[in-house]
Amino acid sequence: MIEKSINIEDVLSLPLDPKEQKKAVEEKVPCVAEGRLKVYDPNTNNVKKFLELLQSRLNRSVVGSMTACVHCGMCSEVCHYVLARPHDPTMVPAYKGDQIRRIFKKHFDWTGRIIPWWVHAGSPKNDEDMNRLKNIVFGTCTGCRRCTLNCPMGVDTAILVRLTRGLLTELGIVPEGVFVVSKDQWETGNQMGVTEDEYLETLEWMSEEVGEEIGDPTFKIHVDKEDCDFMYTINPREVKYDPRSIGHAAKIFYAAGESWTMPRWGWDMTNFGLFSGDDKLGAFVAKNLYEAAKKLRAKRIVISECGHGYRSTRWEGYNWAKYSQDISSESVLVTLIRYISQGRIKVDPSKNSLPVTFHDSCNIARSGDLTEEPRWILKRVCTDFREMFPNRADNFCCTGGGGALSMVEYKPLRMEVAKIKAQQLIDTGAKQVCTICHNCVDGLGDLIRHYKLDMQVVQVLDLVANALVVPEKKEEK
Amino acid sequence: MSEFLKILENEVQLVALAFMSAVYVLRLLWMFRFKAPQDFSYGVGSSKVGVAYSMMNVAMPWAMESVRRNWSFYFQFVIFHLGVVAAISATFIIPYWPQLFDVKVVVWIFQITLAAAFFVGILRLIRRISKPALRLISTPDDYFSLILMTSFFASGVFAVPNKHTAGEWPLIIFFAMTTFFLIYVPFSKISHYLYYPFTRYFLGKLMGHRGVFPRKRGGEKPAGLDNEKALTK
Repeated sequence: MIEKSINIEDVLSLPLDPKEQKKAVEEKVPCVAEGRLKVYDPNTNNVKKFLELLQSRLNRSVVGSMTACVHCGMCSEVCHYVLARPHDPTMVPAYKGDQIRRIFKKHFDWTGRIIPWWVHAGSPKNDEDMNRLKNIVFGTCTGCRRCTLNCPMGVDTAILVRLTRGLLTELGIVPEGVFVVSKDQWETGNQMGVTEDEYLETLEWMSEEVGEEIGDPTFKIHVDKEDCDFMYTINPREVKYDPRSIGHAAKIFYAAGESWTMPRWGWDMTNFGLFSGDDKLGAFVAKNLYEAAKKLRAKRIVISECGHGYRSTRWEGYNWAKYSQDISSESVLVTLIRYISQGRIKVDPSKNSLPVTFHDSCNIARSGDLTEEPRWILKRVCTDFREMFPNRADNFCCTGGGGALSMVEYKPLRMEVAKIKAQQLIDTGAKQVCTICHNCVDGLGDLIRHYKLDMQVVQVLDLVANALVVPEKKEEK
Repeated sequence: MSEFLKILENEVQLVALAFMSAVYVLRLLWMFRFKAPQDFSYGVGSSKVGVAYSMMNVAMPWAMESVRRNWSFYFQFVIFHLGVVAAISATFIIPYWPQLFDVKVVVWIFQITLAAAFFVGILRLIRRISKPALRLISTPDDYFSLILMTSFFASGVFAVPNKHTAGEWPLIIFFAMTTFFLIYVPFSKISHYLYYPFTRYFLGKLMGHRGVFPRKRGGEKPAGLDNEKALTK
């Protein structure tokens, strides 16, 4: 697993590529024309704007993390970037946090304003400095929060990184992929630019597939059905690349005799605002979903398997949108536990006999609340479950988090630091790695290919659907 | 005791302490000027429990992998901060409860603690200088504060016997450093203890609300079975 380490200067000096931004301006894409999504303007004073934005985004929690770091270096013991590149001091989370902290100190803190050199306070001088900042916060951190939970002071470096990303997004100083995905989500309401026709056709296709499998040609995935027990929301990747996961969920819901629906609009539970730091985009996407559930009078919102999607929809979205939660929301895992524990579905674990391990998604284990749930299910639907070490909130990032999959320019660094995760996977001796996150599916898939591991990635719904004992035709509520 | 030392131990300390308190009050007012974040989601855990867990984190070294990987650093942390407590206590005991240092055992306990803290200070300084990552993130304030604290511990070792009849210099140095500390600390990283409750409170509140704190170690019941109430709210 030894490979040449890349030169970090090559990453930190990657230039800004505004090609897609220019194209969006020329094409008068509405979100850009209306100023919801900002593009880079070299003729404006971006440094001044950055500082104004920073001032407006400070809250007490952020200021705490700005002021409390004592530079003890404990964060360097746990970050996968540092562990994979111990020779490179710029990988230390405190260093990454310091890039925004120094600006804060220079402009908002006493000592930094009076004697900046004493506390390494400083300000970006030009757009080049901000481009370097972009490469640090987007390219060298996945915001996994491992350092946060391991900081003796409770400094939330991941929040500082996200804050900085958000400020740069407001200036259009972002990796091209971040701009493109943000644009797609603003324009179509989903990250992958899935059109309504594509979405409805996929649901129809899956209805037919599931109907055939269960021997019920009348089976249908309902869209916009009112007064159901829950509204099911998914990741657009499921429509685009993995529709069988929608089918798996539908089959299980059918077996449980569930009353459920999917919305025509507001079905995307992922949220690129989490990664770009754009709270406005975050609020827009989350509100679409919450209002769809309200409109349909659904009793609950059920969130499909996705780490950042779960975190965004279950937790952050309400805060970005300043939307007081009025409908209960839960992960599909909780729904599955309910079915299994209440005997609403029967599973046969012998159908999943390959050794399987579980990878905890950062956004769920460290920023959510689900660590025991997937294990509870896996122990009932598989015969050979093997724990990965470390696990739960101590697990390592799949290295595809924080929107890293959309930023191809940082992939070589991502693959280099993935050796920590690869070793973790090898040590389990498992043939399958199960995760409850679509980002992790791709992140783990990338590293499995890169390090040539004999392993496949699966999700909980895949395994439950495979183990499901399909009952005789059941009356759907 | 000379008049100079008497004033240094009393009036000067009180003025410096009042200065530090005033600056801290301003600092806290400054912190409270920033809005506290609000949470609009239903919780699955308790924010209060999360805050308590987060605040107690300092006494739960096993809860952090960074410490589990580096136990010696935790012991150094404990010794260093015990030294801080001993040194600060001595600045009050010497002028206001001097008879306590007539008890030899008490003096020895203080001296051993301060000496141990001094050695930890030296180790920390070596660590900060020798590790490239720490060198990169260290500011002049980081070095100065560490050197200052380490020297303070050393001066405390000689000051706690409180034998001004045998020579006042150890006491003069100790109290002169204390005065400087009281004025400098609010502007340096040493005042991190003022921010600790803020960072820990907000992290604990957030993570407690979401059920991440207290940390799960495995074997707990899934929320799906445990928190039906929260789920059906």
